[in-house]
Amino acid sequence: MSENKYSATSGIQQEEPLLFEHAHEAPESINLPGVKGEVSSDLAAFKRKTPANIPGLSEPETVRHFVRLSQWNHGIETGFYPLGSCTMKYNPRVNEQIARLPGLAHVHPDQPEDSVQGMLGLLSELQGWLAEIAGFSDVTLQPAAGAHGELAGLMMIRKCLDARGEQNRKKVLVPDSAHGTNPASAALCGMYTVELKSGADGRIDLDELKKHLDDDVAALMMTNPNTAGTFETDIKEICQLVHDAGGLVYGDGANLNALVGVARPGDMGLDCLHINVHKTFSTPHGGGGPGAGPVAVNDTLKPFLPVPRIVENDGVFSIETEDEQSIGTILSTLGQSGVYMRANAYISAFGHNHIHQIAQDAVLNANYVLSKLKSVYHVPFEGLCKHECLLTDEWQNKHGVKTLDIAKRLIDLGFHPMTVYFPLIVHGAMLIEPTETESKETLDSFCDAMLEIAAQCEAGDTQALHDAPLKPIRRRLDETQAARKPVLVWEG
Amino acid sequence: MRYLPHTNTDRQAMLHDIGVNNIADLFADIPSEFHIELGSMNLPEGLSETGIVRKFTKAAEKNRHAGNTRCFLGGGTYHHFVPAVVDYVISRGEFLTAYTPYQPEIAQGTLQALFEYQTMIARLTGMEVSNASMYEAATATAEAALMARRVTRKTRTVIAGSVNPRYRTVTENYLSRLEGDFVEVGMGKFGTDLSKVIAEIDNKTACVIVQYPDFYGSVYDLAPLREACDAHKCLMVVAFSDVSAFGLIESPGAYGADIVVGSGQALGIPMAYGGPHLGVFTCKKKYLRQMPGRVCGLTTDADGKRGFVLTLSTREQHIRREKATSNICTNQGLMCTAAATYMTLMGDAGLATIAEHSAAALDLLVSKLPSHVVAASGAHYNETVLTFESGDKRDAFIAEARKQDIFAGIPLEKFEKNIEPKHLLVATTEMIEEDDVNELIAAMEVAA
Repeated sequence: MSENKYSATSGIQQEEPLLFEHAHEAPESINLPGVKGEVSSDLAAFKRKTPANIPGLSEPETVRHFVRLSQWNHGIETGFYPLGSCTMKYNPRVNEQIARLPGLAHVHPDQPEDSVQGMLGLLSELQGWLAEIAGFSDVTLQPAAGAHGELAGLMMIRKCLDARGEQNRKKVLVPDSAHGTNPASAALCGMYTVELKSGADGRIDLDELKKHLDDDVAALMMTNPNTAGTFETDIKEICQLVHDAGGLVYGDGANLNALVGVARPGDMGLDCLHINVHKTFSTPHGGGGPGAGPVAVNDTLKPFLPVPRIVENDGVFSIETEDEQSIGTILSTLGQSGVYMRANAYISAFGHNHIHQIAQDAVLNANYVLSKLKSVYHVPFEGLCKHECLLTDEWQNKHGVKTLDIAKRLIDLGFHPMTVYFPLIVHGAMLIEPTETESKETLDSFCDAMLEIAAQCEAGDTQALHDAPLKPIRRRLDETQAARKPVLVWEG
Repeated sequence: MRYLPHTNTDRQAMLHDIGVNNIADLFADIPSEFHIELGSMNLPEGLSETGIVRKFTKAAEKNRHAGNTRCFLGGGTYHHFVPAVVDYVISRGEFLTAYTPYQPEIAQGTLQALFEYQTMIARLTGMEVSNASMYEAATATAEAALMARRVTRKTRTVIAGSVNPRYRTVTENYLSRLEGDFVEVGMGKFGTDLSKVIAEIDNKTACVIVQYPDFYGSVYDLAPLREACDAHKCLMVVAFSDVSAFGLIESPGAYGADIVVGSGQALGIPMAYGGPHLGVFTCKKKYLRQMPGRVCGLTTDADGKRGFVLTLSTREQHIRREKATSNICTNQGLMCTAAATYMTLMGDAGLATIAEHSAAALDLLVSKLPSHVVAASGAHYNETVLTFESGDKRDAFIAEARKQDIFAGIPLEKFEKNIEPKHLLVATTEMIEEDDVNELIAAMEVAA
């Protein structure tokens, strides 16, 4: 095997203890020009009796500690990150720079409106752009993440149905390929989910859908392209059927990257769509957030948008905090403005003249990977894919190799694994999403690695796969032990 | 387009390998009626990098900000010190551009930082365990109320009127589609009257939510609440707006709180016009399995070395789906790394220094108030309510302060709509210096 053609090495990685294990007394404290004075007698009665026991390190030690930790991570800047349905694309550095401008980063959310016109302008502009790109009439920026957007969308659907006097509609149809957050979001809205079994092609089965459409149906939650990476070609009919039955259609926008600039979910009949700006519009994922989940709505749901919201009059922006029909407030503030600065900058860079290249290159890359791998990995649903392609470990199983082994072996070759064991509708799923910001060279290298792994399986040379990963600072971690006897804080 | 690596030659070669003639063929599965004309979107023309910098600089210059003003605004967001090191650490691509650590072998950096964050924030709030963040304080408060329903299997929620009105509104909104009463206890003054809150607790109560220091900055003894909660087997939930308080005052955990939630924005995170901030969520260990959100736990690897993983995922939506403890998925991971870096830099001594400056600035301000302005009585940390003789006088002061580039405070009616418009919520931090206080007071005297 030619491991040396891949980027992974076992270069210098420093062990670093927990900061609590650095064995010396805390250094001199910080020095700031703030107001000095004795704690007032009123407050002194409430003084902390024992310190929190936060040890503290000097500035040079703090930097080294966290830089060493950082070097144990794989990020999109370090290497390829083909996580399906997560859209891990390059995060432009200029977006980080502009988000840190003092006039954007150090603005208080309750400053008078006349002192934040620049900020409100950028947010309002982004709202308009998201509505345009997704094909809807308006957008709320309040949801802090995709799942929060889901909640907002379902709250609006609930309120809309209530306004129609249809309080009894509580059934939310969710395809079995859906993202896991859907049922929990529905439960929070006092609704319940019923799973729709996918058809043989991984798409929504119209007959199965019709079976569930009755007077109890509140909504269908769908992802298009779905999590098998294929487009729901019956989308128009699906929306029509749900609407005819008196329900609404909620769109999970996790896979919007396949459509940006090429087609618009709003044109297809959906009533709302949440957008993960940390996916489609390249705001950094940060190792698990912060993201943002703005929701785009059509005219049916627009009256129910959350407050506060930005309104413009003659070029002057203000904030509307009350509206009787609104679902109300779901966050302390207007939204995660800092995240939106980056999303605005990403769209600014493409503009109308390049925006469609996002979807084009994303879909091109996924189909390219699919074309290279389909002869050696089982493809559960034939045909073109959109921005991600779905494979399974079926052909490798006969050699005793599972998806997990393939994923861990990729680590040893320098790649972040694809999404594994999702969607749940196929056994041993491997969902690969290359995004538009990856080069042909990177894709070729990744495909070579996947082909090599498949060849190792065929040759019965599978030990390296079961042992993987060997190169990172840690090998496979015992998740059972972590869950059985949870240790979530250091007690040393 | 500079973010796209392919040349047209690459694209042609790839299309050839796929076996199609052109890009449009890859979109043939989308019904033609939904194809839009490429380039027709109502967006401006794409900008160069210099164009982007110019655009955002111009917009930023239209805003006033904490760097070119003196900021006495609080109400849940505070202008605290953001050390350069914190921003440096979270700017590193390995932290910034990583996904949620689902592949722990190549995410040990994020995971160890989360574990350190969980440990330090648990210690600072005086609690046994912490999750790896919520979005922000209002949703964290709502999630605490939901968790209490699961733990106690009761549905009544009691919340003090001195909890930040935005936390109350969001919590009420989250609960409004579920069964059970939501009881807001009016306070009648700018502080917390625990006896009124306690009087509302009954055996159907799942939890009682108070804020400490409360929305008005008032600090008070939480001990009676613990007794009342024990008597009615309900959970004691304590919210906070500015976590820096616990560098100085007794932690909610020391009073026996069951769940503590609030904003960790003070821990090295810029105000950023409302986010991204950090939602803190800590609780007693016995309630761990009902806690929402992701958690990082300690384990060992195949060689027996210590390592970390996201754990207890059976509580989460991936497995339990409709029975999940919460729908929260992506949260504020990078903000945990920021907070961990900040707390490491500060240590106990630094956290105490920050809190002492913040409290001392408020003391100084209150001690210099002219006779026509009255501050709320009792112990306060770094925030209080000032009452003016009339709304006009207050507004004249706000306007005078603005002339001196001072944001003097938040008119209280912005939060509590039925209140007489003559009150001002004023906050201080370590970023406020003695001269800033003097100039604020001078503006008060000019406007009088």
